[in-house]
Amino acid sequence: MKLRYLAATIPFLLAGSASAQDITRGGTLTYSYNPEPAALSTIATTSVPVVIAATKIYESLLEFEGPSLDPKPGLAEKWEISDDKLTYTFHLRPGVKWHDGKPFTSQDVKFSIEKVVKPFHSRGQTYFGTLQAIDTPDDLTVIFRLGAPVPFFMKAFQPGESPMMPRHGFTEEEIAQNRIRQAGIMQKPIGTGPFRLAEWTKGSHVILERNADYWKQGKPYLDRIVMRAIPDGAARAIALETGEIDLVPMSGLPPAEMKRLAGLDHLTATLAGSEALGPLMWLEVNVREKPLADMRVRQAISFAIDRQRLVNVIWYGNGKPARGPLVSSNPRFFNTALEPLRYDPKEAEKLLDEAGFKRGKDGVRFELTQNALPYGEEWVRQAEYIRQELGKIGIKVNNEALDMGGWLKKIYTDWNFHFTSNFIHNHSDPSIGLPRSFTTSGIRKGASFTNSMGYSNPRIDELFVQAAKLPDGAERKKIWDEVQVILQKELPVIFLIEMGYNNVFNKRVNGLITNGISLYSNWDSVWIKK
Amino acid sequence: MNQGGLSSFLRKLLHLVPVVIAIASLNFVLLKLAPGDAADILGGMTGSATVEYLEQLRRELGLDQPVWLQYVHYMKRMLTLDLGMSAIQGVPVIDLILQRLPATLILMLAALVIAVFCGVLAGVTAARFKGSWIDNLTSVLALVIYATPQFWLGLMLIVLFSITLGLLPSGGMMRIGVTQTPLSAALDIAHHLILPAVTLGLFYMAVYARLMRASMLEVLSLDYISTARAKGLSESKVTWRHAFRNALLPVVTLIGIQVGHLLGGSILVETVFGWPGLGRLIFDALLQRDTDLLLGILFISSVSVVLVSLIVDLIYGLLDPRSAVA
Repeated sequence: MKLRYLAATIPFLLAGSASAQDITRGGTLTYSYNPEPAALSTIATTSVPVVIAATKIYESLLEFEGPSLDPKPGLAEKWEISDDKLTYTFHLRPGVKWHDGKPFTSQDVKFSIEKVVKPFHSRGQTYFGTLQAIDTPDDLTVIFRLGAPVPFFMKAFQPGESPMMPRHGFTEEEIAQNRIRQAGIMQKPIGTGPFRLAEWTKGSHVILERNADYWKQGKPYLDRIVMRAIPDGAARAIALETGEIDLVPMSGLPPAEMKRLAGLDHLTATLAGSEALGPLMWLEVNVREKPLADMRVRQAISFAIDRQRLVNVIWYGNGKPARGPLVSSNPRFFNTALEPLRYDPKEAEKLLDEAGFKRGKDGVRFELTQNALPYGEEWVRQAEYIRQELGKIGIKVNNEALDMGGWLKKIYTDWNFHFTSNFIHNHSDPSIGLPRSFTTSGIRKGASFTNSMGYSNPRIDELFVQAAKLPDGAERKKIWDEVQVILQKELPVIFLIEMGYNNVFNKRVNGLITNGISLYSNWDSVWIKK
Repeated sequence: MNQGGLSSFLRKLLHLVPVVIAIASLNFVLLKLAPGDAADILGGMTGSATVEYLEQLRRELGLDQPVWLQYVHYMKRMLTLDLGMSAIQGVPVIDLILQRLPATLILMLAALVIAVFCGVLAGVTAARFKGSWIDNLTSVLALVIYATPQFWLGLMLIVLFSITLGLLPSGGMMRIGVTQTPLSAALDIAHHLILPAVTLGLFYMAVYARLMRASMLEVLSLDYISTARAKGLSESKVTWRHAFRNALLPVVTLIGIQVGHLLGGSILVETVFGWPGLGRLIFDALLQRDTDLLLGILFISSVSVVLVSLIVDLIYGLLDPRSAVA
């Protein structure tokens, strides 16, 4: 199948950057995503449509290459890290200008991190929680002083995670009243990036135009990026087919449509480009509930589900069976010694018998309620499939549908559920992506996408604390290996699928997929063949 | 309009105030009954919100206050026509509505004209040639269109006219990123308008056709029509001069109802065609629990529906002077 073929040729795609004389400049790249962004800054929210658009406008101190995101110079030309990993000194690139022509300085960096990112970005505390001070000895030098080492600190400086925002872009009133997330700049961005906002007609389109004063000589190649709001999945597919749009990123197409479109001559479909996000799907189980509190019951549920079939039938081959809390494409931390999770209904029945949940007269052992993540058709189909499979081993499942608001409240605010499908992002480092799901401190009523399961294991807590302090190396890798073994056995969630984000685009678009987070890159090297 | 007519109009207008207040209150209660709020959604969209982050959001959005206080604030704002801020977009609600209103009005008006004009014409024709093949064809077509889901009809029209024939754009309201003169812009919009307006209009066209046919048949059986025929008037004169005006009354009632429905019915059509109107604004606001935005749109649309029904009353009076007295 075409999709898998492409997924297997990521290295080829990565290496396939054209030589300089091939590149044609100019042109417009049109993409569509639904819903349209609510703001043009990841400080307002980090939902996918916002990040896709905002990362073309705003930059951070570093750029990243390759599936594992190796840091490269960005707004910071070079940097030094102290031996104790507590002091990071960044030397800013001279001559960088904001879109309104004012110079970019160390004061903007200090302001962005202290007043904007740390308090208001949804992951601000994760990255900068231990930050004690930011010194700015001169306009082009910034020194971060940490209270404790943060092994993933350099990863913080991605355009979607720590965007640099101009101090002068906020009014005094907005700063004084801490109205950062409602500030005017959220709708009318001023960044340093290769593209700037030209027009935003709500409900219709966003036009970003080439920043003629961009600090990278000769870039960006594109004249314009247009985001068109096409709310219906089938209509998006049609627009791609007729060439009205060039790209539907980040699984913006229904999987069924994707398979059909992948067969068209003028389109490319690939799962590459999201490796560093590491989307992972699982069943979130409420272990406070009696049957589910028993590890053997969770293992039985795991044995009852044929993951490969889920991938093939429900998701049209889009992904592969998960093995544990980390996606297998994570090049540095995945534990390659992990066994695949087996499909074995007989074993499942045996475990349930052992756990004391015998079949009743009607063949039912116990009943559970299932919620599906309210993200569309496929999730409902999957819930139906899982109900059927669990029914075979004597677990009666009642499916219950909710919309997003209701779902978030039921799972995370009320903890009033048995199990639900869900997915999270691993991110490039387990210390960023995993703690909120699996540590005891992640059990926080009301906080979405946290440890709703109520899973608590002192050994896991201890390992996470250690890993967050150790420098990257064999010792830290050993910790993550152990975490994966424990979680795979205890199954606080039933790991299902390593998902792939599909990106479908016109073959005339070049240079789109170059690293593990390509749709969130700034696209300054994307070009269109005329 | 005479003195009595004016004062009765003002009286009717005054009667609408408690109606609007009741609608506004009902809107508020219904939305509060839905589980989850904008902070849940905003937090959910970020994928990794902390409890502190959510509390801070609720404070910013005023969602930490008791519900009755939120209601008091809300009613105070509605009565001063202050619609508040969108929680998700951080922009005044009135701006968002005004941005979307023109697109919705254009689409509604076009759909309404297509529906009324074609529907009434078809209905009258069918009634006049009752029992003939024209009548049968009209009835069958009306039934089929009436029974077809709008979004599917829209998609099929796209497949035919955009993909197969390549004649019409599949979505959007105008070409993006090209500078246009007012005239070329108007033509461009008209070009984009055809498919969504036809899709939205067809359903009501079917309803009008059926209603008009029945109404005409009823009127044509009345004594004064027989009198007219007996006077020796031509059949077309009887149809258009004498029967048409009276048969139109139920259609006017339906137009009033349709204006209310168009807003809701246009959600699907706007979604399929990516038409940047109010229908989709409502839909997104609902999914995102953007309560202030939703309440704002509901308030504005309920006020307009109430006003339209008042206008329908007036038109009724013009068409049939007997009903104006009531």
